[in-house]
Amino acid sequence: MTATSLSKWMVETTNLRKSYGKVVALEGLSVQIPRAAVGLLGANGAGKSTLIKLLLGLQAPVSGDATVLGFNVRTDPLQMREHVGYMPESDSLPLDVTAADFVGHMAEISGLPARAARLRAAETLYQCGVDEERYRLMREFSTGMKQRVKLAQAIVHDPDLVFLDEPTNGMDPAGRDDMLRLISRIHNDLGITVILSSHLLEDVELVCDYVVMLENGRLAMTGPLTSLVQGEGDVVVQIDGDVDRFVQALQVRGLDARRRERDVLLAYHDESVFDVVRDLSIDLDILLRGLRRDTRTLEDVYLQRMSEQTVDEAANVNAD
Amino acid sequence: MSTPIDQNLAGGPLRQPEAEIYDRGYRHYDGPREGRRHAIQALIIYSIKRGLGIKKRWTAKIIPILIYAFAFFPVLIIIGIRAFVGEAAGGLNYLTLYRAISVIMIVFAAATAPEMLCDDRRQQVLPLYFSRAISRADYLLAKIGGLGILMGTVALLPAFILFLGSTFLAKSPVTYFFDHIADLVRIVAAGTLLAFLFASIGLLIAGFTERKSIAAAVYIGAVLLVAGFAGALFNAINAGWHRYFVLADLNSVSDGITSWIFGIPLDQDGIAGKANLNGAWYLLTVAIVVVACAAVMYRQYLREE
Repeated sequence: MTATSLSKWMVETTNLRKSYGKVVALEGLSVQIPRAAVGLLGANGAGKSTLIKLLLGLQAPVSGDATVLGFNVRTDPLQMREHVGYMPESDSLPLDVTAADFVGHMAEISGLPARAARLRAAETLYQCGVDEERYRLMREFSTGMKQRVKLAQAIVHDPDLVFLDEPTNGMDPAGRDDMLRLISRIHNDLGITVILSSHLLEDVELVCDYVVMLENGRLAMTGPLTSLVQGEGDVVVQIDGDVDRFVQALQVRGLDARRRERDVLLAYHDESVFDVVRDLSIDLDILLRGLRRDTRTLEDVYLQRMSEQTVDEAANVNAD
Repeated sequence: MSTPIDQNLAGGPLRQPEAEIYDRGYRHYDGPREGRRHAIQALIIYSIKRGLGIKKRWTAKIIPILIYAFAFFPVLIIIGIRAFVGEAAGGLNYLTLYRAISVIMIVFAAATAPEMLCDDRRQQVLPLYFSRAISRADYLLAKIGGLGILMGTVALLPAFILFLGSTFLAKSPVTYFFDHIADLVRIVAAGTLLAFLFASIGLLIAGFTERKSIAAAVYIGAVLLVAGFAGALFNAINAGWHRYFVLADLNSVSDGITSWIFGIPLDQDGIAGKANLNGAWYLLTVAIVVVACAAVMYRQYLREE
């Protein structure tokens, strides 16, 4: 049995610290990431790429420890890397080589015999949307094509986990949608676990089901996407009738209700609020047109987190 | 996995399939994985191909073709002269050949070492290698091996041709072959040492820059400059230990190694002849240079992401 099958967490870090001179990139990061399509979120400079490089063993941490698929990245980096793929943010492709040759070469570097490597390269490139173009030199490729080749080389050796660092960087909207669809397929259809680093919230929202948010090298928040975007949302009530009267009636019943244009917003405590709304609409003879949780976007969560951080920093400055 | 068309479904005679249907969907790979040794071999082969310009534009092939042409030119001259003047051409030996080839090897290393290393750094391909199951030492080992093999072809093949030419031009080829069979071992020893000497210095310089032209110019410049300084100091100082300055001149080291291995005395006109150092000093110099270059390169590549 391999460490891969033994480990409970896909990635686990303990007090991971990395600095470049006086600049601290990661500050005591401890996080446990389950097997899922994981979005690594954060502004530029938050420490996303640094974390990926530490997890791959491309850089050494100043202190702390990390395991990937159960392999310690300090003590078992080579065993760990047999099971992972990596698509870096930078171009990272030799321009005077064909895509087929390069992806085949990368498969061989991952231990595949020469013939199997060539076949896998052709198959994987095809799956990534590079078909006949694979015989062209990569200097002739568009940004989107290069991103596809980078993705192909990351999965050509059939890894269990693939790190994708800003995979939609520099792509036009159509190409970006294609790439995100491809990444979703890699995870959902091919069964390869994905850690997607991005500063684009929509990318993560479209592809991932678990989020790790970094902020200035620290863990800002982590959890399943559904709990982050829905967990704290209000209840939205849509009625045909006097909205102000309905709000007052809810407030009389002890609920935190307020008006938002033609809707009524109601603080969610538990499922009983739905019963109260239903009963009140019957009592007041008001037609209930809609009753649902107000889903927040990841952007709402992110902006809320940012504003909380600003408040915290201001409080710290005042305290000093 | 391909699925052959079942020719026999309709109960017809079983025939060899004329075509196969390929399922091009992505499948998990459950074939063999051959580990680091295979990866290093693959990287050596890939590096050699890049060094020779194989599967690259035709312009990338010009320099390797010219260098190989020049590498074989001296041996053809030597054999040609021997064919015409016979024993009178006794002075044209392996020392003469390696003296000519070592210059070509320096040019070859200057042109090929950057081809093997600079692009990987400039085009940021290194993270793709280092995120796979090979170490940085494996990567460097493959690069040194790849360039060493290429340089070896320049160092060994002309010498083997000289051996064969000398054999066939001898009055009794069979007797010559068995009398000089030890020369084959000497050729391998001298060629291998010189190949790795020039390759390791070339790779060391290429490991510090992303620009191929700069790496090539620095290599040639450093060789000429250090040799010039070594020669000047050798002639200016007369203190006994001044003889060791000769070890800084790559051509003299090449002469010293070849002279020592083949047992051919050096002429007293050159500084290697005047220095009159024991051959072990040259061997030690090669060993130190190769190990030091590998160590510095490893340290340099530890910083690469």
